[in-house]
Amino acid sequence: MNRAIIIFIGSLLMLTGCSYQPKSTDGQITIEVAIFEGGYGLDWHRSIARQYEKLHPNISINLWGDPRVDEKLKPRVLRRNPPDIASSSLPFWKLVVANKLYPLNEELYTAAYGQNMSWRDTIQHGVLADNTYEGKVYAVPTNLSAWVCWYDKKQFDAHGWKVPADWGEFMKLCAQIKADGVAPLAFQGKYPIYAWAVLLSLYQRLVPLEQWYEMQDLKPGAFTSPEFIHAARLIQEMSTKYYENGALAMTHTESQLEWVNGRAAMCFCGLWLKNEMKNATPAGFEMRCFAVPPVEGGKGDPHAVYAGGAEQFFVFSEAQHPKEAADFLKFMLSKDSAHSYIQKLDTLSPVIDSVKGITISPELKSAVDVLDASTRIFSDRLSGLYLEFAKNDLPDALSDLVSGKSTPEQFGTKLENAVERVRRNPEIYKPATMGVPK
Amino acid sequence: MKQRQRFFIFTMLSPALLLYGLFVLLPAVNAFRYSLLRWDGLGKPVFIGIQNFVKVFSSASDFGVALKHNIFLTVVPGVFTLSISLYFAYIIHQKVKGARLFRIAFFFPNVISSVAVTLLWILIYSTTDVGLLNHIRKIWFHLPAYAYTQSANLLWALVPMTVWTAVGFYMVLFLAAMENIPESLYEAARLDGAGPARLFQNITIPLMWDVLTTGIIFLVVAGLKAFDAIWIMENGRPTSFTHTLSTLMYSKVFEEYDIGRGTAIAVVLFFLVLGTTLIFRRLLQRERLEY
Repeated sequence: MNRAIIIFIGSLLMLTGCSYQPKSTDGQITIEVAIFEGGYGLDWHRSIARQYEKLHPNISINLWGDPRVDEKLKPRVLRRNPPDIASSSLPFWKLVVANKLYPLNEELYTAAYGQNMSWRDTIQHGVLADNTYEGKVYAVPTNLSAWVCWYDKKQFDAHGWKVPADWGEFMKLCAQIKADGVAPLAFQGKYPIYAWAVLLSLYQRLVPLEQWYEMQDLKPGAFTSPEFIHAARLIQEMSTKYYENGALAMTHTESQLEWVNGRAAMCFCGLWLKNEMKNATPAGFEMRCFAVPPVEGGKGDPHAVYAGGAEQFFVFSEAQHPKEAADFLKFMLSKDSAHSYIQKLDTLSPVIDSVKGITISPELKSAVDVLDASTRIFSDRLSGLYLEFAKNDLPDALSDLVSGKSTPEQFGTKLENAVERVRRNPEIYKPATMGVPK
Repeated sequence: MKQRQRFFIFTMLSPALLLYGLFVLLPAVNAFRYSLLRWDGLGKPVFIGIQNFVKVFSSASDFGVALKHNIFLTVVPGVFTLSISLYFAYIIHQKVKGARLFRIAFFFPNVISSVAVTLLWILIYSTTDVGLLNHIRKIWFHLPAYAYTQSANLLWALVPMTVWTAVGFYMVLFLAAMENIPESLYEAARLDGAGPARLFQNITIPLMWDVLTTGIIFLVVAGLKAFDAIWIMENGRPTSFTHTLSTLMYSKVFEEYDIGRGTAIAVVLFFLVLGTTLIFRRLLQRERLEY
């Protein structure tokens, strides 16, 4: 029987394997960086890591990426053995509330790499607001994105279509495009959430920012307010009349393919669109964009833009080297790093003035023009804070709204009821009233 | 059994038992434990008793809607699959010309992975230029594209796909049962003047009843566990039009990080499958016929 026990234990050892992590004893520090490997790849991150290692010979960066990085990170967070720093779509707010993230305030007030100002002062105002919890900043984005309407300038010029100055002109333009035999709008119907940013932008056009942020602070009645219902009505009118036929069954890539192939004239999307479609965009396609048009008679700022940080990096509180990891993050957001980020990946960085003095593509220039013309940025945090609302209630309600299955009033009531469930649930963390971020 | 023999059997089985214990039994037992916790998988779990089950069955929960979708996906494709596969098995059993070819052709979708089958049907239903059905609508009938895979239409769009995939398997199952029935029974019935319908009703069906019962139970279990086709067709974002218990469970655990509630749904699903299987076995039980 003893032999059987030995075999049993042998099988167990074979299955479990042994976990061993070498630890440095010669003063050399290794920072582990885990990154979601998406459309932007890892090449830029690797080149920055090598530059950082040259600058800090006692530090080496172990950088790895995976499209399913979350799945790899979760068990390590649970085992209290996370990497030092990560960029992933793990639920940010749950990590913050569970005390799993390292506050970056101290580092934010140290001098930025290559500039005579604090790191915080080099970052576009507003992008850190969504990552702030009780006065502490827990994540910094390497990317800046904005929600805009994309079109092909060549197609617009060929048909004599003009960029609209307000929502009325936008709807007239849609009618004209339809009359010319082209679908006015591509829509990523399998992800109705793509309509959310447009809806929130229209709502912002209608109300002062103080009122807009009251919705973010879960003020009762915000979703049934006449202005929100009005914004929903504008969305429904646009979707039922001008979305491409069959768009509600299309994925983001399918609908965006329709757009780059000229079968749909415009497409609301973030700034990642160019990168996402770079392999499918035909030669001669002149990708340009304009901001969600202001609504006539609206009381909101007509020049604010729905924008915010993306590719958020956070340092784990249980990291081996949190201070060094935060310093590496600061280096990733130096002006020089931002320049190479913009030029290599053809996208924007939240570092202030990072596009100045460098050559950028006409597509990116178009997006920069939109941001330069803006008075301020605003963004939604409901979808990051309240997961059941964001993953369940909101997409369902939006799907019904854009397909015309529910009226704008019913849509508003559905969302108000969903938010009421959030308000009443003591288990859901709700941050203190934020108001308009400074 | 001698001790040496017992030792040998235990030795040979130990790796398999260990794997089964570690990767099937232990997680299953843990699921029962998790269902009593409030836990997001990141912070500390808190014991909350049966609160997750109370939430699952509350009016605000999607559980009822998801269960309705499971029932739809059990009954509608199930009825078609059973009728068509029985019909095909019967026809092939009659040795029609090309029976062998039909048997292979009908079984073929069953050997393709469910992911590949779903991707194939996504292309068939696509509203873009590659969509076969919409191409036919456009070219032959001059109709605009129809959004077959839009959430609100998706459950019905799954019916032909499910039937196409499942018919081959059930046909082979039923055909094997039919081929076990002695020909002499049919000959004797024919001598007594029985026609094809009578033969089917009074000889074929009663003598393959056990296999038919098994087939029905398979269909019920498949309907209750429906996940992959919906998950793929919805690009991982099922809505209240398409959620089934399995997709709801997955969303709760991996999208909303509500592990307690997700596993509570898994526990309910386990008892639902077990209970339904036992009920169907009881309802469909008949006296065993010897031949």
